[in-house]
Amino acid sequence: MKNPQCEEAGIDDGTMLRLRDVNKSYHMAQEELHILKNISLEVSKGEFLAILGPSGSGKSTLMNVIGCMDLADSGEYYLDGIAIHRTKEKALTRIRNQEIGFIFQKYHLIPTYTVMQNIVMPLLMRGMSYQEAAESCMDTIRLLGLENRMEHKPSELSGGQQQRVAIARALVGRPAILLADEPTGALDSSTGKEVLALFSQLNRLGNTIVMITHDLGVAKNASRVVRIVDGELQE
Amino acid sequence: MRLKELLRIVWINIIQNKFKVVLTSIGIVVGAATIVMVIAIGRGGQMEVAEQFKNLNAGAIDISYELSADARESRQSGSGQTAGGGMERAVPDMGGGFPGAFATGSADSGSAGTFGGGGLPDMGNFEGGFPGGSQDGGGRPDFGDFGNFGSDFIMSGGFDMSDRMNQEQITLSEADVEDIEVFVPGISAVSISYSSRTSVEGGELEEAVTYTVAGVKENYAEMSNLTLEMGEFITDSNDENTEKVCVLGAQAAKEIFGSALDAYDSILYIDERPYVVNGILSEMGSVSSGISPDQAIFIPYSTGIKYIAGDNPNPTVTVIAEDVSDVETVIANIETVLADSYPNAEFTVNDAGSKMEAASASNDTLTMLLVAMAAIVFIVGGIGIMNVLFVSVKERTNEIGILKALGCTKKDILLEFLFEAAAISVIGGLLGVGFSFGITPVVERLQVRVELSAMGAVMAVCFAVITGTVFGFYPAWKASRLIPVEALNQE
Repeated sequence: MKNPQCEEAGIDDGTMLRLRDVNKSYHMAQEELHILKNISLEVSKGEFLAILGPSGSGKSTLMNVIGCMDLADSGEYYLDGIAIHRTKEKALTRIRNQEIGFIFQKYHLIPTYTVMQNIVMPLLMRGMSYQEAAESCMDTIRLLGLENRMEHKPSELSGGQQQRVAIARALVGRPAILLADEPTGALDSSTGKEVLALFSQLNRLGNTIVMITHDLGVAKNASRVVRIVDGELQE
Repeated sequence: MRLKELLRIVWINIIQNKFKVVLTSIGIVVGAATIVMVIAIGRGGQMEVAEQFKNLNAGAIDISYELSADARESRQSGSGQTAGGGMERAVPDMGGGFPGAFATGSADSGSAGTFGGGGLPDMGNFEGGFPGGSQDGGGRPDFGDFGNFGSDFIMSGGFDMSDRMNQEQITLSEADVEDIEVFVPGISAVSISYSSRTSVEGGELEEAVTYTVAGVKENYAEMSNLTLEMGEFITDSNDENTEKVCVLGAQAAKEIFGSALDAYDSILYIDERPYVVNGILSEMGSVSSGISPDQAIFIPYSTGIKYIAGDNPNPTVTVIAEDVSDVETVIANIETVLADSYPNAEFTVNDAGSKMEAASASNDTLTMLLVAMAAIVFIVGGIGIMNVLFVSVKERTNEIGILKALGCTKKDILLEFLFEAAAISVIGGLLGVGFSFGITPVVERLQVRVELSAMGAVMAVCFAVITGTVFGFYPAWKASRLIPVEALNQE
């Protein structure tokens, strides 16, 4: 997926994600809200990073920028060697599909689809047939213990199970990075612990994970924690 | 995304929202049903026209006379006082000075006027069979000399006759037929007929029923392309002897006697007089000279005039032009000949070609009206689809955000919503076609001919898909343009 034109000389192959002086503002009415202020961050391949911050600190905006769902106003962003800040919308769509696995606080499963249909969706978007996609995601489904839930609708599952489905969906495309936005925010504490244990397991399997949370207890599961306060990053 | 997988997603969405899909497609159902019915009724109308006129000779010209409205009123108010005022017929080939001698037929006079108009040249041409007699006198007195003739013609009293057309009762006669035969070139046949609604009894009828009774000549059958199932048609001999014989239309025979066989050689009472059924027509299914032969009863012309027509028969002279392309010329010549005989009369002339064109044009107008209606229904249905899709996009904004976050392209989202709109339309179109097939018997019960066709069904579904896709495009486009972050955070 690496685009030679977008590759930046000097980026270490061991760096999965690099932000340099990233700024992001929103215009609300006539006021300009400076959300991200000169954010610089590096995440190595295979690292499990937690970005910790209170509500309104700008962590979700940072997540959107890292997840290529929003573009920074200024600064540079490289993801697995790709210069995201110079990439057009069409290529960003492909990057979201192939390089990033999203895990959301509210799971964001499509309610009318079955578990299997939700999980294979990123693969279908790559042009695979349903059959091929279903076959290629069986390992992930087994890993997450969802074998007996494949024909269920999300509404028929518990919160923890739904989050497992969301994690399976994020993993099936074998993305370069997993982005988790408050992954335990909607779960009870024991289920949350299970999910965090799963994250640690995935990290040990070599997955790079960036997790955003407001909960220090959750953040402690990561191998590195950075804080974001009023749009500024503090190691 | 592969087309098959895209269609699978569309299918899932439709299955999950069956009720909404059906409700959304109602406009399209009605539109598609309308299209099918428009085409079917249009085709039915065309076939009806074709069938009605299939036996009609394209060169046929019907000539009849109608009293002007004010004259009709005047005659009605003065009825009972009229005596001999009617101008029955002028003498053809009378020469120049004669027209001024036509009586205006003052309705209140009845007295013989003076014949004041110059001489009557070439009186030798005047035949004894001149239609005369008073309005209430009936009959055709055989005036032997011109002295009697004067009693039927009243001077105009000096008013400008050219401004007062169709003031007098005129009865077209066999003499007019002869005039046309002699003086109008390019015609192959001429006949005179008249028809009236007359009560009929006999056979299996439990009470008197009104039928169209037509007094016709022998050549009427050939001119109207009538064929007989059994027996023979009215003959010249029947006509000359004023015989009380009749020929029944196929439907009339069936209604009155149960079958053609039972009808043949039976006695039928027309206006309380017995007639022998001499023949039964084959099923014709067409209209000839304004008469539906299947439901008519034909009698000799002279018999009809004598026993049924009453005081004011209104016969029709039918002329067949040898060459259809000469119909207009023939009409002009007929009018010239008749104007010679009746200078103050304007005749109603209808040619079959014009009738066919008028019927066809009328049918086309109806079809256009229905097409316009179908177009409106489709537009309304399309707006309904657009509205529902907008709501659907709004409802599914979060889903669209998820798809975008997962890497779904704008094109795939556009196609997904477009296919959904098209699928709703196809479902609506198919339901509409089914609905139209279902209501066809009901429409047919309303005496509207419906000819369903595969082409109509295909067109309806095509129109439905086009409507759904066109009206579904904008909501689909809006969905594809949603910003991922905003869509994802939409509750």
